[in-house]
Amino acid sequence: MRTPLLVVLLFALPLAALASPRGDEASARAALQARFDAALRADVAALEKLLADDLEYCGVRATCSTKAQYLESVRNGTRKFRSLTPKVERVTMYADSAVLTGKVYSVSVVDGTERNVDAYFLVVLAWRDGRWQMTNQSSTLLEAKPST
Amino acid sequence: MNKRRTLTLFVIFAVATIMSTLSFAKEDTRETALRSAEMSRFEAQVNADAKTLERLLDSNLEYVHSNGELDTKASFIESLVSGKRDYVASTANIQGVRILGDVAIIRGTAKVTVADNGQSRELDLGYTDIWVWKDKRWQMTAWRSARMLPTAAK
Repeated sequence: MRTPLLVVLLFALPLAALASPRGDEASARAALQARFDAALRADVAALEKLLADDLEYCGVRATCSTKAQYLESVRNGTRKFRSLTPKVERVTMYADSAVLTGKVYSVSVVDGTERNVDAYFLVVLAWRDGRWQMTNQSSTLLEAKPST
Repeated sequence: MNKRRTLTLFVIFAVATIMSTLSFAKEDTRETALRSAEMSRFEAQVNADAKTLERLLDSNLEYVHSNGELDTKASFIESLVSGKRDYVASTANIQGVRILGDVAIIRGTAKVTVADNGQSRELDLGYTDIWVWKDKRWQMTAWRSARMLPTAAK
């Protein structure tokens, strides 16, 4: 009697996983906005949930941080923003991930000095544990320089 | 009855193990193909090889250069073929590859030599590119790069 039940479970579990609700474009956009909002508020608890454990955060100076390093920089005030305004230009949805690109206009505070940093961003969100989590952000400065 | 149950459980376990092994093998194959595609792409850019780039670049490509210039697939290939953008040499060092289903993230560094008005310049870049698995092959759909600080560039 138990054997058929085991067989049913073996095949039903993957099907149930496929049928479970996935994030859509609207929720991906909302997750990214929440991420920027949390960064502006320096809300480490919110960021903890919004960032994936395997986060790669690559800034405009080509240095990359892990999730722990990124959160520490928010916690200790190294990464501090006066304003952070994203403009999402493209969202592409895949089976378990979403790729979002656009521009972000920010005023950051470094050692008490305000600095405008406008950049192109590239973000990959992964659908895990029933929510979107940011697993990569990579940025390039918007300003044009006479080189490639 | 007990024997039958044990046999059934064994079959289920065996099938699950085989499926899992096949899945890992498939991922290994796809990662190898991805790394190869990445290296072919760098080479095709230096050679201004439009045919190879046509195959390796996604039609929705968004290529943001380290100076903030934005190219589509068409404008990028055209700039290479016309010589407007001239990569003399490039050496890429892949630092991380992650495959999330049909999307892959590659992070790396590249030393790129560009020809600019008869002179060549070297750029040290940190980059991230995104590839998608479409039509049974990897295609690059996004590129972001940034200049490495002199101390970070190796």
